[in-house]
Amino acid sequence: MIWLTWRQHRAQILVTAALLAVLGLLLLGSAVEARLHVAGHAPPGCPGPAPACWDLARALADRHDAVYTVFGWMPIVAPALIGAFWGAPLLGREYERGTHKLAWTQAVSVRRWLAVKLALLGALAATAGLALSAMVSLWRPVLGREDRFGNIGVFNMVGVAPAVWWLYAFMLGAAAGALLRRTLPAMAVVVAGVAVTTFTLFGLSDHYAEPVRTVLSGTTVPPDPDARLVGAAWVDPAGRELARPPEGVCPHPPDTGRSDRNQQTYERCLFGKGYRYALYAHPPSRFWRFQWTEAALLTAASLALAGLTARRTLRRGA
Amino acid sequence: MMIEFHLDRGSGVATYLQLVHQVKRALRLGTLRPGDRLPTAREVVDALAINPNTVLKAYRELEREGLVEGRPGLGTFVQRSIGGARLADHTALRRSLEAWVRQARAAGLDRDDMETLFAMAVAGSPREGTA
Amino acid sequence: MTTALRTTGLTVRYRRRRALHDCSLALPAGRVAALVGPNGAGKTTLLHTVAGLLAPDAGEVAVAGEVAFMAQDKPLYDTFTVAETLTFGRRLNPGWDDAYATARLAGLGIPPDRRVSRLSGGQQTQVALTVALARRPDLLVLDEPLADLDPLARHDVMRSLMVAVAERPLTVLISSHVVADLRDTCDWLIVLNQGRVQVSGDIDDLLAEHLVLTGPAGSAGGPAGARVVESSLTDRRTRLLVRGAPAPDPRWSARPADLEELVMAYLRSPEAAALPAPRGVSA
Repeated sequence: MIWLTWRQHRAQILVTAALLAVLGLLLLGSAVEARLHVAGHAPPGCPGPAPACWDLARALADRHDAVYTVFGWMPIVAPALIGAFWGAPLLGREYERGTHKLAWTQAVSVRRWLAVKLALLGALAATAGLALSAMVSLWRPVLGREDRFGNIGVFNMVGVAPAVWWLYAFMLGAAAGALLRRTLPAMAVVVAGVAVTTFTLFGLSDHYAEPVRTVLSGTTVPPDPDARLVGAAWVDPAGRELARPPEGVCPHPPDTGRSDRNQQTYERCLFGKGYRYALYAHPPSRFWRFQWTEAALLTAASLALAGLTARRTLRRGA
Repeated sequence: MMIEFHLDRGSGVATYLQLVHQVKRALRLGTLRPGDRLPTAREVVDALAINPNTVLKAYRELEREGLVEGRPGLGTFVQRSIGGARLADHTALRRSLEAWVRQARAAGLDRDDMETLFAMAVAGSPREGTA
Repeated sequence: MTTALRTTGLTVRYRRRRALHDCSLALPAGRVAALVGPNGAGKTTLLHTVAGLLAPDAGEVAVAGEVAFMAQDKPLYDTFTVAETLTFGRRLNPGWDDAYATARLAGLGIPPDRRVSRLSGGQQTQVALTVALARRPDLLVLDEPLADLDPLARHDVMRSLMVAVAERPLTVLISSHVVADLRDTCDWLIVLNQGRVQVSGDIDDLLAEHLVLTGPAGSAGGPAGARVVESSLTDRRTRLLVRGAPAPDPRWSARPADLEELVMAYLRSPEAAALPAPRGVSA
């Protein structure tokens, strides 16, 4: 069975490995180039927070962004590809070609056939996801980027997220193939399913934990740029939270053009009158808690999809 | 000596009977003699693409008539010939039949006509050839 | 005589339609059985149920030993080479006889390194048949193995199948909608019609107990004692296919029925049945 799994799916496995290798080389090249740039251009004491380091920081950010655009879509595209090319054909293609009638009438039981395929390919997909995570996690600090929590795109490419995402997409494709018995429609279901799941989890992630309330005076800018903002409100001098301050407390001329100077003046006026600004956010320290929550949700969904696939496949209905 | 079976698929005669007839004809002609081994079921099947059970059924029939004997693990062997003398020895009969054929040709009969007449004569005679 | 395959009261529904209805039959070991019937009679459903691809809604299937199945269209992995197809068989079947499989394909002149998609239809059938045979099954189930093959390939496939039957104990169940394909190769006949087993029996016995009678028009009942399976009337004559020997009657001429006539007669008369007496099912 292991031989058969490898023989039937080696094309997908090898292409995935090759793409990961290409990506790895790209990240390695980017990191090496960045190191050389730092060695050649960094003023003493840089990189660091000193103003003298700003030029260097900007140069590194430009380098990061150039590479980031290449795989910025990765959190959606990679699982969609895994689901479409690893998952959807698993059963869809067998039904399409009629080869399930060959495979499922051998001495090996259908239960075992399915269990080995789902387990092996699921484990491989998760491992490949971990490889991506490891490469991205090694690359980003070199370019001076430690943020990995606030940006959902980055969050989904580090930690255990890629592993569970890829596993989930694979199982989604397998289930769609089992239900539709066709590869192409199953691929379409995977793409739609991955997109829907991404946005659902994005909305759901606000509720993974109780947000931390931070009350600011003098500024509305969150103190930690990597935090995940859930909500914000003004607090009046009596301590009550308001969606918006009452009219007439401060003049609020409408913003003209692209400048937000009027807004800043307005906020400064409100702070001057004793108003404060409350932020509800998840701090970056919750990175692993969120990672494991998402992993648990997607793993549970993967198991449910695997169960659905097995039910559909083993029922032997006409 | 070996017998080569062949099939007449349009004849309507059951396949196993065709095999039985062919063995009997070979016994009459002397091309099969006591002690000769008949081809194995596999050999016949390989040549004719027929069901091996058909071959075994034909051999059982021949065995029932005492013409052949199956020896487990060795094969099926001819037990005895048919007729007191070999057909080839019936020179006088053959001569008179050849004379008859010449007469029939002279009378304008073709091969089919002659075979039909011959079959009618055999069928009309009181001695039956086969079951 | 042992029974290689027995189905009892088999009922299978397919998209709310009954594809098989109360099918009971027993196939003795060592037989080569022809499963015939018109398209849509339920042949494939019956074979899929025997092969374990379908679970019956009622009734059961009992196979003595290992069953191997070759589906219609002979599905194979067409990106595999012939050798890889044999590896597939070896990896998925503990009883696999690799020496037999390799020798069989070598004997047929099928190159092991050729991709399955590049083989001819006849060669693909032979590879699929080899995968089924090398498992050393006790029952071999073939669904329309000869469909879409040219006459030469049909002959070669049947010949090599018959050689396999001659080499070791093997019961074979072959479906076909063309009776002529199976005349020389099958010794058991199963007629399936509208989801029911109509005929099941030894072909020689069946032929021996059926006659075609020709007699005067206007006497569809036939001579006394005749069990009429099917009657057809022309302007001046009545033609009957009857089971059992009727009383001699000078107005009727009789001749043996051939296999095709017998099958057609039953298919045209779905209410008639010829089944073994002890386990006869309602007809």
